[in-house]
Amino acid sequence: MVNVSRWKLNLWICCLSAALLMLTVPLQSRAQDTAAGATLTQSQLAARIKELEQQLAKLAAAPAAATTAQQARPAAPQPQQQPPMQMPMPAATQGPLNPENTPPDSTDPQALLDRIKALEQRIKDLESSAVLSEPETRVKKVEVYVDKDGNLSDTPVEGAKKTTTFQRERVYRRQTINEKIEEALSSAAEHNVQVGVDAGIAFQYAKRTKGTAIVPDNRTYELASADLFFTAGVAQHTLFFADIVGLSGPPPDREIPTLSLINGYSARLVNQNELNLREAWLRTELFSQKLAITAGRLDLTNYFDHNIAANDETTQFLSDALVNNPALGLTENGAGAAIVFDPKNGFNFKIGLQQSNSAATSLSDSVYSLAEIGYFLRPPGLQEGNYRVWYRADNAGGAGYQTAYGVSIDQRLRPQMVFFGRYGASKAAVKRDHHYSGGFQFDHGLGFFPGDAWGVGYAQNDFQIGDKERLIEGYYRFGLTERLNLSFHVQHFWELSGGAPQQGYLVPGVRLQASF
Amino acid sequence: MHKSKRFIALSGLMLAALAMGAGLPGMLPAPATYAQQIKVQDPTSVVMIVNRDSNDISFMDIKTKKIIGRTFLGNNVNPHMVMMSPDGRYVVTGGTRANKAYIIDSRTLDLVKIIPTDIAPEHLAFSPDSRWYYQGNPDGDSISVIDMQSLTKIKTIPGFAEPLNITFTADGSKAYVGNYGAHWVGVIDVRRHELLKKIQVADVPGVAKLDPDRYLGEIKGINMAVPTVDGRFLYAADSDLNAVGVIDTRTDKVVKVIRVGKDPWRIYMSHDGKYGITLNNGDETISIIDLAKNEVAATLEAGPDMTGANFAAGKAFVISSSSGFVYVYNLGSLRPSGRIKLGTNVSLETATTDTADQKIYLAESTTNEVVIIDARTEAVERVGNVGLFPWGTHIMDSKDNYCH
Repeated sequence: MVNVSRWKLNLWICCLSAALLMLTVPLQSRAQDTAAGATLTQSQLAARIKELEQQLAKLAAAPAAATTAQQARPAAPQPQQQPPMQMPMPAATQGPLNPENTPPDSTDPQALLDRIKALEQRIKDLESSAVLSEPETRVKKVEVYVDKDGNLSDTPVEGAKKTTTFQRERVYRRQTINEKIEEALSSAAEHNVQVGVDAGIAFQYAKRTKGTAIVPDNRTYELASADLFFTAGVAQHTLFFADIVGLSGPPPDREIPTLSLINGYSARLVNQNELNLREAWLRTELFSQKLAITAGRLDLTNYFDHNIAANDETTQFLSDALVNNPALGLTENGAGAAIVFDPKNGFNFKIGLQQSNSAATSLSDSVYSLAEIGYFLRPPGLQEGNYRVWYRADNAGGAGYQTAYGVSIDQRLRPQMVFFGRYGASKAAVKRDHHYSGGFQFDHGLGFFPGDAWGVGYAQNDFQIGDKERLIEGYYRFGLTERLNLSFHVQHFWELSGGAPQQGYLVPGVRLQASF
Repeated sequence: MHKSKRFIALSGLMLAALAMGAGLPGMLPAPATYAQQIKVQDPTSVVMIVNRDSNDISFMDIKTKKIIGRTFLGNNVNPHMVMMSPDGRYVVTGGTRANKAYIIDSRTLDLVKIIPTDIAPEHLAFSPDSRWYYQGNPDGDSISVIDMQSLTKIKTIPGFAEPLNITFTADGSKAYVGNYGAHWVGVIDVRRHELLKKIQVADVPGVAKLDPDRYLGEIKGINMAVPTVDGRFLYAADSDLNAVGVIDTRTDKVVKVIRVGKDPWRIYMSHDGKYGITLNNGDETISIIDLAKNEVAATLEAGPDMTGANFAAGKAFVISSSSGFVYVYNLGSLRPSGRIKLGTNVSLETATTDTADQKIYLAESTTNEVVIIDARTEAVERVGNVGLFPWGTHIMDSKDNYCH
């Protein structure tokens, strides 16, 4: 017994000495190094080992379940059930909980520290296999110096020329499998052609409210439209886009002789039940992405005469006079280009030209050109507003250049209310035709559901030859889901054509629109 | 045998005596030695940079723009957010992959304590008196409470749903937790460290029945309840609901719901207390909320993948991570005033603003740089090699300390 006591005393003295020595190690290195355990007492070391063994047991549990039964060690004690390290234990054998085969009753501090290190390493290895820990590989642009013989240096060397190259960099970041999958999917989406669909179906009913019986009355119409979009990034800040559209069904515009289209979708209709390439263009952005150039088969109305409240027959007003300014006079898409300069400071400038008559034999015979200046304004007491002025010239008619100009305004008056207005004047045989429109849009929670919007609009088209049109439209759009909208529309048209009796039509309708 | 043991014992005693002579001052640093170890005299003079891949915190001197120290945390720690305690004594971070909190002496930059937390610790906050360090554990759905006097974890508060950011009231009596995995803000009684109540910021719309995937597929709830400058109200943006709930901190009730753009990340408060800005990543806009009227004053065009907003020189600087741009807005006119191009194919992370509201320190993880933007001139300066994959920056007492 005396010998045992002396042994313990000697060992305690040794441990104390070692511990005091270790205390002289700077705090930082102690914290960084696992050897920080050396500052601990023997019981703390034992506790640490127990903690590590518990972690190890948890980590080993999953792989262990997958291993075969003979690999399992039924006799191996659970770490929670292990007695304190100072207590006598059965002779340890090498296994997942004791890979270095250290005697469990070892009281040698160095052995204990070694065991801690081994267990921590084991945990690290297990965590590495349980959680995705592949190195993250990134390719970076680096500047290097190359001499005439091709010798490369990272630092400037006499006779070497500075050049740019690319080099792989690896970092060991632990990621979850989810993160890695998300990255892969995102990367794949960026490099593949993306397909989008915008489909709309509009049911409309027309009732004559004024005029003679020679025009249709009490008729029902339906027009279904589907746009297929293809988008692909082909170079840095360069995008390819194509839009193929197919329409089917009789729109009201085939029967009812209004001056502007009752259903804005009809503007896309070339031939029923046929697919048409509406747009196919390349866009690139230059000068810190301030300048965007788009060239190909275009619809210039996508770039000019914007309006946030009245510019989209798929989600806003159906009447074509409340989608674009009739003074634009652009009836079909064609080859062309659009240049947009937008420094994101409130001003933007646009110019564009396009073939406006597909029957023309050269671009010189059918040049349609547009220029626009846009300004972001925040008048006192009001919210944000966009003000645009444009001018166009078109020689497609064969009678020289026909010109027109117009303005498009949208001004948010309140957080939930937008006023919009348009005016346009286009050159006519005598003087000019005039087009006016205006109205309000209500959104941002001013409806039954947060995603709903509704609007009322009025448009007036006065042609110098005597034709006149007045129309009003109201709609309510339910934002059923992010991708599905259901709208109810009511339109009324008053038509006065060349001294003929006034015609009036009431056109209620329903539109279902999906985009994804 | 006995002789050899005695020899060992005597040797041990001698070594102990030597150690006591030379080493004790290291154990309990005497003032002179501690002073020698000090690397940061003034905690407000450094920018802290949290580096995810090099697993360290680097400290950059604001005046010289030099890295004056780095604290390595350990392999595979993956630190997420760094913050200095309000008393300037400690710097802390949560190691997301290590499931631990790391406590650094803010003057010597020594790592003084590693404390196990729950799973995947990310964002954190200190109580105003620096006593409590709350560490959010999004994957553990809990908050770890760390006592900064004893440097021990005293409690883990369960019951959250992906808790992200934590906000203490000015008096330190309550803490509000944004739950990204739910549509409510949790209120913690700081005296008892218990979840007191849950505040739903807005109703899920009835049409949600038609679009279960929108709400069931993946939830994007509340990132953070952000206090007004006077601390009276909290503004909590809900990403799925496209709304900001205004919470009265006296009554813990929602007093207003403000509709904003799509998928608002969170709200950032201007330093003058007039405006709050939500970054709407769903439609690439920002909504500027007039805090006096509690309504949207302007909705302005912005960029993709916005990660944060900083305020300086009367402007708001909005970081668009993947585009490489910082969008600038004039807070006087509430108009856009251009954007600053910081690179192509780079990834901008988050930024902090100096206490003088003059310069912005933005972490750029692709080139391992901190980009310093002069708010007045919009001139850009770069400090390289700050660490691998810098994820965020922090300056003590800055009004723009945040993470993503």
